Amino acid sequence: MAKVVSLDNLLASVAARRSEAAPWLGALIDAASEKFAHVGLPNRRVEAWRYSDLAKALHETVKVEADLDTPPVLAEACVAAFENGVLNDTKSSYCAMGAQSLRKVLAEKDSPVAGIIGRVNPQADHPIINLNTALMEEGLVLQVPKGVTLATPLHLRFNWSGVDAASADGRHLRILVVLEEGAEATLFESHDGAPSFATVVTELSLAPNSKLTHVRLENFAAAARQTAATVGAIGEKAAYRGFYFSQGGHFARHEALLKLAGEEADARIDAAYMVADKRHCDNTTVMDHAVPNTTSTQVFRGVLAGSSRGVYQGCVKVAQAAQKTDARQLSRAMLLSHRAEIVTKPELEIFADDVKCSHGATAGELDANALFFLRARGIPEAEARAMLVEAFLIEAMDTVENEAMREIVIACAHNWMLRHAGEASHVE
Amino acid sequence: MLEIKDLHVNVFGKEILKGLSLTVPPGEVHAIMGPNGAGKSTTSYTLAGRAGYEVTGGEIDFYGEDVTALSPEERAAKGIFLAFQYPMEIPGVSTMNFLKTAMNAQAKLRNEPELDAAQFLRTVRAAAKELNISEDMLKRPLNVGFSGGEKKRNETLQMALLKPKLAILDEMDSGLDIDALKLVAEGVNKLRAPDRSFLVITHYQRLLDYIVPDVIHILAGGKIVMSGDKSLALQLEENGYDAVINKAA
Repeated sequence: MAKVVSLDNLLASVAARRSEAAPWLGALIDAASEKFAHVGLPNRRVEAWRYSDLAKALHETVKVEADLDTPPVLAEACVAAFENGVLNDTKSSYCAMGAQSLRKVLAEKDSPVAGIIGRVNPQADHPIINLNTALMEEGLVLQVPKGVTLATPLHLRFNWSGVDAASADGRHLRILVVLEEGAEATLFESHDGAPSFATVVTELSLAPNSKLTHVRLENFAAAARQTAATVGAIGEKAAYRGFYFSQGGHFARHEALLKLAGEEADARIDAAYMVADKRHCDNTTVMDHAVPNTTSTQVFRGVLAGSSRGVYQGCVKVAQAAQKTDARQLSRAMLLSHRAEIVTKPELEIFADDVKCSHGATAGELDANALFFLRARGIPEAEARAMLVEAFLIEAMDTVENEAMREIVIACAHNWMLRHAGEASHVE
Repeated sequence: MLEIKDLHVNVFGKEILKGLSLTVPPGEVHAIMGPNGAGKSTTSYTLAGRAGYEVTGGEIDFYGEDVTALSPEERAAKGIFLAFQYPMEIPGVSTMNFLKTAMNAQAKLRNEPELDAAQFLRTVRAAAKELNISEDMLKRPLNVGFSGGEKKRNETLQMALLKPKLAILDEMDSGLDIDALKLVAEGVNKLRAPDRSFLVITHYQRLLDYIVPDVIHILAGGKIVMSGDKSLALQLEENGYDAVINKAA
């Protein structure tokens, strides 16, 4: 059984790490650990974690299933394979695109990323990002030079076979992707298996006119406990295209914390989540419109079965100077069971007066009329339900432009339906 | 052959059908006409097996088998087809994919071989052409943004492809202008066959000018109060439901 992650253990580990760190890193660790020690592991008394009590989840006993899914294989990609939180070079090919292991970068006396890491879109009070900064060890750094378009995607493949349970501190992974002016890249993140406790922070720095496509797939086993954050800054005329798929886990949270930092910066997130049994799936976003003329769009669609819980917290901030901001957010949830739950919390903090901000949230059941229509044409109930659930999510999945990735995502959705269509069918 | 015997049906605890009896032999077209609230839609939904339409007495025999306990999909596989008064719009499901899934599901339930992709395409294209349904309509999500006429033609296409033994047309004429009505009726008439019967449920006589029935039944207060040939529809049109029903009583 896993040792319980405790604040004391974590702080002791931070102190040990601090003593070995290079000066540039030491300064970063100091700032982060001081803040982290102040708040500790977030629980439901912290407003942003009210519906996702991490401290409580880490005290619960989980049982890792015997047969875990194998991670997806994306053809024609450079791979960074993280096995139980450790970068495995023999299974990786990231060097081909000029990426570096974070472990090596952190060991350097004076690193070129010293001024960037942790500073892309600083989250000084975020307990988990601070913890991640203080304990980050493994990860990857990718810089794409000015004007370069990477022909192949980078596949960050995180797989947890359940044997990391011995680590009392959890595993804390950090990814840094810097796109210089006009650069373009595609990032494919897959998360499989059952981490006993992992934090993953992905920092994205998008210089003017750059474009990043970011496809995230959380295909965790039921025992997985992870909280992840995508922290980005989007420069002038730069674009971020995110697609997130998640099946939740014992505790699975992902935050997209994006700052629209240059004029005409544009961020778009489409997300689909399918959660069953007693799983928990939290999608939290903060769109920070800092300058005039920026746009953000987020569309989250979720299907919840069993006694699962989905959380969507979407915050849009518009600074006083950020006139002509256009921000939209939509959350749509379909509940397949009367025991399933969706918590939707939109927040708007608007300090400019000439803006367009919209938000909407719906929660509903499978349409009984549509279900009867399909069945009256001879389509068995389970299959008809699966068709309607897929129809509800397909719009999100169709936004994945890369065909191979889209196929992987759709296959995940199909698998989920095969496993849970029957369970959904006794609910009327 | 459809034989409905003394059928009693409750909807939300209220008895709507109160002893409906009706026989439709193979190859015949029967019409059920009746005033609002008579139980017309309840009849069609009950025959198709919709949840919430609780059979409290009587039976529905279809080719010698009581189907009241069967699911909608099992009834469909036995050859019962309901053309909906208001066909559902289902975003995210393409018409083509829907047709293929339905045809294959029925084949599977009947232990028949599924069509391969090429056979399926040929069959659908040929049937669609007859009904003036474009390729573009087939690619669009099921009924989404279709006009009233397009939706009903799409229902007729499904009927043509699924080849039912009994087709129930629930208010086929609602939402149709006269040209669309003619086109749909023409499509239905082409599907008339010695081994296929039709139950045409309608409020107005107009539809029966185009789909000419062998027998007309008048449904009122949850049971058939009168049956006759097609001239009955003209009597209704002239004198109204009240007069004809009172005369029958």
